[in-house]
Amino acid sequence: MSPLENSNFLPYNIPNTSRVAESGVKVVKNRVIIQLDKICKRYGYGDATSYALQDFDLKVKQGEFIMIMGPSGCGKTTLLNIIGLLDKPSNGSYSLNKEPVNKISSRKLAKLRSHKIGFIFQDFNLISTLNVLDNVTLPLLYAGFGKIRREKQADEILNRFHLQPKEYYMPHQLSGGQKQRIAIARSLISEPEIILADEPTGNLDSRSAHIVMEELKAIHEEGNTIIMVTHNPSLTTYATRVIHMLDGHIDTDIKTVADKDLPVPVSVHFKKHKKSKGAKN
Amino acid sequence: MSFLLPTHYRIAYDSITRNRTRSFLTCLGIGIGVGAIILILSLMGSIQNLVSSQVASAGSDLIVVRPSQEKDTLDNVIDQLTSSNQYLKSNLSLKDVTAIKKIPGVAAAAPISKSSATISAERVNDAGDNYTTTISSASIIATNSDLIKTDRLTIASGSFINKGAQENTAIIGHDLSLALFGSTEPVGKTFTLYGHKFIVTGILSKINDPINFNSVDFDNSLLVNADYIKSLDENVQIQQINVKTETANSVPSIAEDISSTLSSSKSGDKNFSVAYGDQISHPANELLVVISGMLTIVAGVSLIVGGIGVMNIMLVSVAERTHEIGIRKAVGATSGNILLQFLFESLILSSLGGILGLILGYVAAFLVSVVTPFSPYIDFNILGITLATSVSIGIIFGIYPAAKAAHKNPIDSLRYYR
Repeated sequence: MSPLENSNFLPYNIPNTSRVAESGVKVVKNRVIIQLDKICKRYGYGDATSYALQDFDLKVKQGEFIMIMGPSGCGKTTLLNIIGLLDKPSNGSYSLNKEPVNKISSRKLAKLRSHKIGFIFQDFNLISTLNVLDNVTLPLLYAGFGKIRREKQADEILNRFHLQPKEYYMPHQLSGGQKQRIAIARSLISEPEIILADEPTGNLDSRSAHIVMEELKAIHEEGNTIIMVTHNPSLTTYATRVIHMLDGHIDTDIKTVADKDLPVPVSVHFKKHKKSKGAKN
Repeated sequence: MSFLLPTHYRIAYDSITRNRTRSFLTCLGIGIGVGAIILILSLMGSIQNLVSSQVASAGSDLIVVRPSQEKDTLDNVIDQLTSSNQYLKSNLSLKDVTAIKKIPGVAAAAPISKSSATISAERVNDAGDNYTTTISSASIIATNSDLIKTDRLTIASGSFINKGAQENTAIIGHDLSLALFGSTEPVGKTFTLYGHKFIVTGILSKINDPINFNSVDFDNSLLVNADYIKSLDENVQIQQINVKTETANSVPSIAEDISSTLSSSKSGDKNFSVAYGDQISHPANELLVVISGMLTIVAGVSLIVGGIGVMNIMLVSVAERTHEIGIRKAVGATSGNILLQFLFESLILSSLGGILGLILGYVAAFLVSVVTPFSPYIDFNILGITLATSVSIGIIFGIYPAAKAAHKNPIDSLRYYR
């Protein structure tokens, strides 16, 4: 039996205690969480001006799994960086949960990144001098969680990905697939509303890529919104919406799943643990 | 923010231990600067202690009158050191000594008039040939018979300056006697000063205390009668008058009497100071104070160089960890978090440098104490200055690299690879 056929190994075999929709919480289905209007991203000046994004409009609903495809230089990563609040558009407006984020301070942007957005990168971007546990708990550290809470949540999330035995390993002691799953665990630990993945399988062999995509699928089925950039057309089977970009525009935008069939959002991952601001280690 | 401090500490600790050699060299740079400052402060404290203890041993019934009440301001000290003959600046005179002596309660008043002159003496070598020993710039102290009471000097042999004795007599210090006559039994021998023959009538016991509130190394000095010297050299003036009172309790009131007596005798001119107790040791050894000040400036420069070393290493550290900064910002670190992280590291580096400097400074002070009379002086103020200096260096020279790290663009940082 392959590890993937073993139900205990499957990453989407989520323990019931960790992700249970809170009863009594009103879940609004299909609400728009990201809205981009006439977004432009300009580089250079005068004759050397070039546009990575031009008059780009996009609405993303909660629960969507969007694959963004297109040739190199079409603006995919720039789009992801703007959505992820790492970059600011030159023009246009961006609303996250109906709140415009164009003019908020860099400090608030950092807070939004730590609470609302999880990043998964092609080259994992784990800090080489920190062990697995410290890498995974990094977003919680900056979100203001105390050490005990951080480690408890990391234990749960690493357990979910069957990586708990590796929590004191250093990144260089892990395989590519394990590193990417650690990166996914890190992106999920702060229970973000949006997960942004920039070619998460780009540096992985096909088996590891499959495991990682299954992880993302499981995360999506819990109602998370995922926006993923990829060059691999075969991965579009996981998506509910596929956007092809060309020269900073949307070329085609195809929904493979109707809005009504999008997964119902689950409220929280770690409902027992409230954020402990200023908690001591 | 408090929950981040252990993390910042751990990051800094990891970074410092990962690059042990360069961290040690950076700390050494700070350490040398801090060590130099500690050595100077320790020496200054030791000198101050020596003088204070000498004042204490001289007795609590001592009052010292010095010219210029603003003597310990830097301008005055530099002015005195740079003027061709600082003795000309004094407005104290032998008349003042006589006036002070008349004040009720004053047991003794001795002037101290320092000058330097060439002295020479005839000697006979083993072969029976005559030759002349000349000492240029010998320290000549013009005083009176009261000095033995005010300064508690002791005579090894012969007698001290007597009122009834011949005017051209002198008392010689132990070391000067050895240098001039090659003997510690010089009583009755003669030497030439200002073209006149003097006869040695006594030799002082060895004191071995060159740093004192009189700024006189009695072991290397010649004591002569002030009245006689005044007749030979008109320019000689009094730099200090040591006054001994009959009782210690009356010192403050007598000091006031001296002040008012001198003030009225000089038509209201207050260009003198009357000190007793701890005040006596304050303006002592102005030259050492100025030299210490200059050395502190040099040590400060080396501290700045050390600080630049910290800044340099921190800039290298920021460059090496640019990618890490990008990751931290991507997962939610604010610019303030990054700034604190790097500032903390530079603070730890400079604090370690400060501790190293403390050790180096005291080891140097101990080594100095082996060859000089200055014993290492440990004080909480010095420890406080060390801590404050180290922390200040860490902040001043760490803020730029930390700010540079904090303002890095997360996207550019994520693209950056070592």
